[in-house]
Formats: sequence, structure tokens, C-alpha cells
Amino acid sequence: MSKHQYAMVMDLNKCLGCQTCTIACKKLWTDRDGTGYMYWNNVETRPGLGYPRQWDRIGGGWKDGLLQPSPLPTMDDYGHAWEYNYEQRLYEGKKQPVMPSPEPESGVNWDEDVGSMNEDENYFFYLPRICNHCTHPACLEACPRKAIYKRDEDGIVVIDQERCQGYRYCIKACPYKKIYFNEVTGKSEKCIFCYPRLEKGQVNACAAQCPGRLRFVGILDDPESPVHKLVLVHKIALPLFPEKGTQPNVFYVPPFNPPKRDNYGKSIQEDPRVPLDYLIYLFGPEVKDVIVRLEAELKKTQEGGRSEALQLLIGRDAETRYRVRPQLVQIQL
Amino acid sequence: MRTRQFVITVSVGLVLSTVWAQTGAKPAAGQSLPVPASSASADALLNGGPGAWSQIAVKHVALNRTPPLYDTDEPAPPEIPSLDVRAARSGGKLLFQLSWHDPTRDAVTLAEVPNTPPETRFRKVPTEADDRFFDAAAVMFPEKSDINTIAPSLQMGDAEHPVEIYYWNATRGAMVMQAQGRSTTKRTGKPFPASSSYQNDRWNVIFELPDLAAGTTVAFAVWNGSQKDRDGRKYFSVWQVLE
Repeated sequence: MSKHQYAMVMDLNKCLGCQTCTIACKKLWTDRDGTGYMYWNNVETRPGLGYPRQWDRIGGGWKDGLLQPSPLPTMDDYGHAWEYNYEQRLYEGKKQPVMPSPEPESGVNWDEDVGSMNEDENYFFYLPRICNHCTHPACLEACPRKAIYKRDEDGIVVIDQERCQGYRYCIKACPYKKIYFNEVTGKSEKCIFCYPRLEKGQVNACAAQCPGRLRFVGILDDPESPVHKLVLVHKIALPLFPEKGTQPNVFYVPPFNPPKRDNYGKSIQEDPRVPLDYLIYLFGPEVKDVIVRLEAELKKTQEGGRSEALQLLIGRDAETRYRVRPQLVQIQL
Repeated sequence: MRTRQFVITVSVGLVLSTVWAQTGAKPAAGQSLPVPASSASADALLNGGPGAWSQIAVKHVALNRTPPLYDTDEPAPPEIPSLDVRAARSGGKLLFQLSWHDPTRDAVTLAEVPNTPPETRFRKVPTEADDRFFDAAAVMFPEKSDINTIAPSLQMGDAEHPVEIYYWNATRGAMVMQAQGRSTTKRTGKPFPASSSYQNDRWNVIFELPDLAAGTTVAFAVWNGSQKDRDGRKYFSVWQVLE
């Protein structure tokens, strides 16, 4: 257990699927050889296959105190990174149109906006994902090289590139499949929660670039941080697949917007756009309590009151959404 | 999990301590490895065809399979029961020829990384299959040459008895490693001369080591990529004593 724990909350009601976070991360961290297919941050459409395909169904995590390694995802599951023939088209005067190569057959958000049907009405929402920097990381436990460690000062889980030998036990163990193998270097890589930025007092690149302002960052045990308030005080944010036993430190405000057309007077639970079963699948049964709490806060404001939780979720400015100044690592509990 | 690993470690330790007892100060006669001086040069042995090695007797070394680390590991029935080893001294070098039957050749040719900064490259190097592992082999011997009386732990030595490991990988080439027990392997980044060929479902890999004194113990290991072998998931021999 680390002394402090950085955490992130993402309000899924605000995510517009623009992938700006994906690109911010991609350009900053995975613009190197062997990282073509890697997305330390990705936004997938739910319901959907996800990235890598079916990551939520192939296994990993803990069961009864034992690791449950899954099969390794294949490159087909991730989707081969394709490039475009810009050179021929733009510089060599070839007439053929700009085409991707190799022929795309899957990708990081392949089934974008496809969604599913609920009583003849289509629904979908976007799910941004990064490494969860778990309190009980399966990847760390699975590594026979002890190349993965959890930073004592902030709980960020990183891979020591000197020690890693690319055995990929960590990939099999992670239930979120948020570790990637770089075949060029022969080592595994993952989201580092932008710790070099945090150490300079700058928030994670994915959060800084998000036009939807849906990400909240801070130290979970810092009572002044927005993540502490959303997760522990208002209790309106939940981790993904809590039953996997890794105790993730990325939390989500579950999606229930936009409301259905004729839901005036009906509660979200009575007339949900996203079926509750699906939300329970993602966030566990506690999601029902979260929706009840969110509805109560909505009602309060509709009746002219003020909701601290909703004001926080609006997140008007960076001071509200982030509390990452380096000295916060020194907070006294 | 820690408890389980502890149990596995202890049980492996028990098995290996039995082995160790057999390979200690007085190795069994069957575990000695003849090392004739060869009239062929070290380069000829390293690069030569069968002719360079044909005069040297083959030692059949039995291989053992490491136990699985996790219950959920894919089972890997033993496919490689033994290793054919030839050893020779030439020109102050010690050469080993390791040959074993492996019906699948698990190796890829990695794309060359252009020697230019990534931002100036027009195309990024695409990764090969992500879920593949590669055939490999290794020769391990004690780092300290004055410990002929006792062989280090077969689990890659221990703190008092560090080992050197000459590791060859079908995709990534040859590299010297050091270890002081399980999970302590250090890649030195230092290459060593090695050559390899794959024919008729057999790997034939030649290692060139610095000369080791008679009485030094050496052990061998083989990884089968198609069985997802890597790390301790491998085939290993007990210590052999150089003649």
C-alpha cells in the first residue's frame, strides 16, 4: 500500500467521444518505434468490443486470492496499426487516392457509435480508459522479474524498463488489458499516469486536453481533492469491474444522459436509456445507489436548491477539477 | 499468491536440492562432459558445418520441464526430452554445439529501426505479432571459477554463488546475462559470438564462451516459443562437469 494514491474520476455523462485525450496521450507517450498499435489512453464505444477486442471477457485479475491470468490478446485483437500512402499521393504524383495499409480489419474504436438496442431504441456511450493504477495490481504480482512497482509516494504503477524482459505475464494478469508489449524493444509498456507532468504540477495530458472537461484528478486521500469528494464524500463515482479484485483508482460517474424523449416525471431507473443491467455489468450493483444519489442531487437543483456534487461535476475551471500541485504529495493525514 | 509462490519455490527448491546433492562435490560419472581440444579453429567451429564438429562425440543431456508458475498457465506437455551437446576447446575459447528437435521454428525477423529520430520518419515500424514467443537456449556456469567443490543453485545461482548465463534467442540474438538467484537476471548488454541454423525440425546453435577450466560445472536450458516458453518456463538440464 502506497502512502498516497493519485486517482482520476471521469464523468461519462460528459464524454463526447472526440478522442482528443487519445491523441494527447498518443503523441506524448506512444509515438515511438514498436508503439504503433498502443493506446495507453483509448476511448471505446460501449456496448462494443473494446480495445483489445473483448478485453472485458477474456479474464485476468483476482479470484479467491489467486491470480487468474487470461490468454494473451493477439495483434488482430488490438488491430494492426495502419499507415497511409501520403508519400505517393502527395510527393510522388501518383494518382491513386489516399489509402490505408495494411487493409484495416479492426482498430482501437472499430465499432464506434454502433452501440446496441434497448426496446427498439439505439443507445451507446463512450468509455475512456487508462491504466487504473490499482491498489492491488495483478500485473505487479504476476511479474516474475519484479519489474513492475507501485510508487510509494503517489501510488502510480510503472514498469522498470531496465528490469522488464517482455515475458508478458503482466498482460495476462491485467483484467483491463492496459499493458502493451513493444516488440521492437522486447519490453512491456503502460500508462504512467503522466507522473513527469504531475511532478511539475501539471495535470495528466489526457485530462488537460479534454474539451468535455470530464476528468478530475487528485490524491484520493487528500480531503480537498475533487476525486476524494466525488468518490468518498458524494459517492457518485465507481471503478470499472470491481469484482476483478484489483481495486482500481480510476473511477467513473456512470452514464445516464441523455434522457429518453418521454421521461418527464419518470426516474432514470424506471426509464433508463442505458439498460441498468449493462451498467451493473460494468460498475457492479452499487451503480443503482449512485443513480439514486445523482437523481436526488438533480431534483435538489430542479427545486431551486444548490448541489455541491453537481457543481463539482460541472467542473468549470482547472482549479475545481484538478489538485495536482507537487506539494500535495506532502499532505498530512 | 505469495503463499502459493512460496510453496512452489520451496517445492522446487526441494527437488533441486536433491539434484544439487547429486551434482555437488562428487558428480555422478554420467554427468561429466568431455571437452576435447579441436584441431579446427574457433572460427571454423563457430561458423563451420558438420565437418568441423563431426569428430567430436555427442553427449545426450536429459532435459527437465520447470513446473508451471500458475494453475491457469496453459499446460505444456514436454516436447523436448533431450539436448545433444558437443563441446570443444580451441584457441583459448570454449565452444558448445547444442542441437535439439523442435518441430516449430519460432523466430521472426524484426524490422530494422532506421537510424533517424522518430519525428523525422515517414513511417513507423509496425510491430510483429504480439502474442508470440521465440525459441531460445542458454549455457549457464558459475561466475566464480574457484568453487569447483560446490555447484551453485540450479535456479540461476544464489547471492554467494552468482552465475553467468550465455543466452541465445532465435529473434534477438546472443547476450551475456548474470544472475544471483531466481528473478535477479541482469542483462549486461554484452553480445557474444554465436551462430544458429534450423534444418529438418532441428535447431543447431553454437556458443563461443571464454575458456573454462576442467571441473567447472555448466548447465543448459532450452525454450520452445510455440509452448509460450519464457522466463523460468523452459527445459533445463542438471549441472554437467567439464572434463
